[in-house]
Amino acid sequence: MAKFKLFNEDANKSPLKHLWRHFKSNHSALVGLWVFLLLAILAISAPLIAPYGVNEQNAQALILPPSWDDAGQVEFILGTDGLGRDLLSRLMNGATSTFGLAILAALLTTAIGVVLGVFAGLTRGVKSSVLNHLLDITLAIPSLLLAIVIVAILGPGLMNTVWAIIFALLPQYIHSVRNLVAQELSKDYIVAQRLDGANKWQILKTGILPNIYEHIVVIFTMSLSTAVLDIAALGFLQLGAQAPTAEWGAILAENLSLIYLAPWTVALPGILLFIAILSTNLVGDGLRHALQKRRAS
Amino acid sequence: MLRQYLVRRLTLLFFMVLLLSLFTFTLSYLFPGDVSTNLSGIDSAGFNANDQITEKYKLNENYLLQYFAFIQHIVNGDWGLSLASGQPVFEHVKTLFPATVELALYALLISILIGIPTGVIAAAYHKKWQDHVIYTVTLFAYSTPVFWLALILIMAFCLQLGLLPMSGRISLLFEVEHQTGFLLIDILLSNNTYKQAALIDAFHHLLLPSIVLATYPTAVLVRFTKDAMLDVLDKSYIKSARAKGLNHSQIIFHHALRNALLPVISQIGLQFSTLITLAMITEVIFSWPGIGAWLINSIYQRDFPAIMGGLLTVSLFVIIATMIADILNTILDPVSRNRSHGQV
Repeated sequence: MAKFKLFNEDANKSPLKHLWRHFKSNHSALVGLWVFLLLAILAISAPLIAPYGVNEQNAQALILPPSWDDAGQVEFILGTDGLGRDLLSRLMNGATSTFGLAILAALLTTAIGVVLGVFAGLTRGVKSSVLNHLLDITLAIPSLLLAIVIVAILGPGLMNTVWAIIFALLPQYIHSVRNLVAQELSKDYIVAQRLDGANKWQILKTGILPNIYEHIVVIFTMSLSTAVLDIAALGFLQLGAQAPTAEWGAILAENLSLIYLAPWTVALPGILLFIAILSTNLVGDGLRHALQKRRAS
Repeated sequence: MLRQYLVRRLTLLFFMVLLLSLFTFTLSYLFPGDVSTNLSGIDSAGFNANDQITEKYKLNENYLLQYFAFIQHIVNGDWGLSLASGQPVFEHVKTLFPATVELALYALLISILIGIPTGVIAAAYHKKWQDHVIYTVTLFAYSTPVFWLALILIMAFCLQLGLLPMSGRISLLFEVEHQTGFLLIDILLSNNTYKQAALIDAFHHLLLPSIVLATYPTAVLVRFTKDAMLDVLDKSYIKSARAKGLNHSQIIFHHALRNALLPVISQIGLQFSTLITLAMITEVIFSWPGIGAWLINSIYQRDFPAIMGGLLTVSLFVIIATMIADILNTILDPVSRNRSHGQV
């Protein structure tokens, strides 16, 4: 049963405007977007606006509780850790290492993943079958294990973690993009385009890409939340960011021995991680729902 | 039709295992250090022993023969020695891997038992308050880093309330003979006088890690089940069922549920990869003597034969689990055997 779409309005809004209208009507997604943007700005500007240096030690203020506590001082709003480093500054810089690098990793994955995914989607026969099976095998290796193997080859370190995460995220990404392209390719308007004599590149440029880029953004948010989690997890396991680096997972692992004495040094990085992942997921979910609604309306 | 499909799947399985072994073999060259050390786990051997290793792994021959020698040793159960302990890697894997599988299976069981009914409820009450509550809870569960959740639960239940033990599989008071490697089964098989107490103790140890491990897969399953249900509820045959005058629960249980659960089964198979990833972190935090904690320790100690062995075991497990779920899905759902069937 075909559903006809009639446009009653005089001026048809662009699909992107429709999408934004649906997205806007979802308040939690909008809040998620604001938090996401705030964190992104923080990630860029953290070294400039942080009140203290990342590794600046204040010998007279060790394990200071947050300022709202009776024993806290207002100079150190979120308190200090075992080495007298201001927790607020470290957490702000952690936004750069954890969230900023996760965005970088997700962007790089997108760039590589879209190219390879489109290629995989457009090829037919033996080439595509070989590629798919290669993907299946890499999908079977758990992402953290793959990251660990790559860390074992390259050695631990923050930048190596980023490479490891890109490699670990890629198979899933290529898989999703390939499915999107294959889905789009089987639709009638692409067939019509092909019958009109359009070549592969034209079909890709005018047919497929404009119709899948919004879905790619959704995949991007999904891989971003995985990237944040993985960077933090590797930092926590001391396989990623090494000790003095201000990375949320590493800060958490560093202060683990203080968990009884100074629970806020463990709680705060965890809360920030949670907020970062939550906001990313909210934006992703909001986008997904907005896309569904637009298709239904 | 089904047999043809099974043959294709098994061929695919064969090639995947082939590629996996090739990848593992390549790692012995990619890892820092000597190839002979990475393969055999014998460091700075004497002159004679060195020759023996070269002979054993055919390191002077071409890569293909080296690969075949490697495969031969793997199949024979000779996975080299662990650089850290000097013990055979295969023995380590044999004792450690069941612990991980046990933990993962219980977590998966929890997530299936909670996730699927919750997802069905969320779909049945779509856009009502029940749905919103479930959505919010799953979003939170979905976004919590697993290691942080584990720490919070340890703080609350082990350190503050003192209700549950915080590390290990069983109290050291109990001595359980290693038979299958699955602790609960081992306890039942053993002829210990304190069987019941041991079982309760093991259960206490198991509770917190499996809850932590189950959180993320549960959230994924709830979301997936809900989406699958909503998809099915949108179909025309549901509309006609409603037009016939069936009520809401009849439609959900007799018409929608069976069809919605089919994609969920294959989704459960896909969960294994995530589950193992999370299990590795959970094991480290709860000092669970499984393969994940061992693998991460192997990285700290640059124990390359152990990493290779662990990678091979875990990936093989995930591949076979995914394959079984896939085949199960095919047996239950004839449409998935050939996508062109049953389509309009």
